Amino acid sequence: MITRLKWFFHPVFIFVFSILALALSLFLYIYWYIEVSTGLKAAVHRYNLDPQQILEAQTWVVILVLSILVGLILAGIFIIFVYSQKMARLNRLQHEFINNFTHELKTPVTSLKLYLETFLKHELPRMEQAKYIGYMLQDVERLADNISHILNLARIETKTFGGDFLPADLVETLRQFYQNNRHLFRGCDIQIHSPSGNPFFYNINAPLFEMLVMNILNNAVKYNDSEKPKVDIYFMNKNAKLHIRFEDNGIGIEKADAKKIFRKFYQTKRPDGFSPKGSGLGLYLVQNIARMHRGKVIAEKRRNEKGSVFTLILPLHPKHA
Amino acid sequence: MQDSGKKRILIIEDDTHIAEGLKLNLSLQGHEVDIAFDGVSGLQKWKTQQPHLIVLDIMLPGIDGLSVLRSVRLEDERLPILILSAKGSPEDRVKGLTYGVDDYLAKPFNLEEFLLRVERLLARVSWAGETDDNDPALFPRTYSFGSNRIDLGASTADCRTGRITLTEQEVKLLKLFIANRGKPLSRKQILKIGWGYTGIMNTRTVDNFVVRLRKYFEDDPHQPVYFRSLRSMGYIFDHEDPATS
Repeated sequence: MITRLKWFFHPVFIFVFSILALALSLFLYIYWYIEVSTGLKAAVHRYNLDPQQILEAQTWVVILVLSILVGLILAGIFIIFVYSQKMARLNRLQHEFINNFTHELKTPVTSLKLYLETFLKHELPRMEQAKYIGYMLQDVERLADNISHILNLARIETKTFGGDFLPADLVETLRQFYQNNRHLFRGCDIQIHSPSGNPFFYNINAPLFEMLVMNILNNAVKYNDSEKPKVDIYFMNKNAKLHIRFEDNGIGIEKADAKKIFRKFYQTKRPDGFSPKGSGLGLYLVQNIARMHRGKVIAEKRRNEKGSVFTLILPLHPKHA
Repeated sequence: MQDSGKKRILIIEDDTHIAEGLKLNLSLQGHEVDIAFDGVSGLQKWKTQQPHLIVLDIMLPGIDGLSVLRSVRLEDERLPILILSAKGSPEDRVKGLTYGVDDYLAKPFNLEEFLLRVERLLARVSWAGETDDNDPALFPRTYSFGSNRIDLGASTADCRTGRITLTEQEVKLLKLFIANRGKPLSRKQILKIGWGYTGIMNTRTVDNFVVRLRKYFEDDPHQPVYFRSLRSMGYIFDHEDPATS
């Protein structure tokens, strides 16, 4: 167990305390300054000097300069405070992530080990063997997914992801992608709608773009308790921007979580059955990839129906995208 | 290996592959195996099927494994429970053991070791079944605080209104409070452990129950001394140590 910090070492206390101290010192500077200058005024008066020359103008300049300086210090403290809070949060999230991620890695490994040891121990009929080997393959897939998530994260964060941004028709790209990965979405109903029928050309990095789509579709299917998971993909032109909407019939998303889910390591906590079962990286990757394409992704709850909508918004200036 | 006869084993594990792999192996060992994929159905199956042993995962959807363990322990202190968890640090093990688990294996585990431990646990139960209530238990048979004396074994209590009979749920809740004397319990925790429900259930149930316990045991139910409320937290049960006579 971590020993709890004494309350007077808590960053919030230190922050409030130093701001109070600073405000008080500003007050005292000004107070004393005025006191001294009234003394001076009296002296000037007594010795019959020209008051205009020494006093008036200076008082306000001094107060102004002091205030600006103190203001700068305050702003500095504030920035350091926010920054340290952010760091603390990231640390905590990273810790949680390591816990969750070890679980994510250990579960398929446990399953694999269990079946391999079972095969060593027992001679099973061919049919059963095939079934369990199928399980093992799925586990290997899961492991591979987790590992590639981590590797991709590192490459995207350090911006060392290879490949060029080349123009491509997004509708066609999505169709192709779905054709090639159909086996991953067995039992799901995925439809691509492009009402205008026009191609939408945009400069994309194909592997990254596919990773983005894969993550959104995976989530739509993974966080889904409907009998038949369904995803509708709509292409729309809106205010000189291209909107690609992914509408699913899954468990939906709480308003409070709609922004947070894109944070690194963030995982929603739900009171009902669906506990987080992921790395907390998928949507973080999605948002980063969208940014690399000069776009963004927003998430929301579907208004009248069950499920959530993820919208990829890309600016339609294909020439210099 | 010594055969301990056909036993019913309940596996509470949310990963289908691991659950089925365990079931396969335990069935091949000659046991009757059932699987529950979350805490709520795990507790239901434990009640309806009365297994001889539970294999329990900790990270479960809904009610987590440790709450399942505590819930079972309120009613059955002897049922062997083996935790199988990805959390294998000494702190996690100690936590499990303090809540009364019999054995703890970290994932990934060795199949042979797992099977041997299961057999050992099952064998021990069949011996213990012959002796009677003399072994140390988590809960004493009787418990006194203030002017109240509760007989947990016979489900009766002597309190300010005289002798009353307690319902099964009341005994369970009292045990939960006694086991956590001096420690705050949130309404949600009480609901999870005492009733086996998840957060969807209304926490008013807990409040109503505490009102009833106060009526039994407090000298002035409106100014509770033993079952105190904690603002925005839940409840805490505490009392002075009875004078040794």
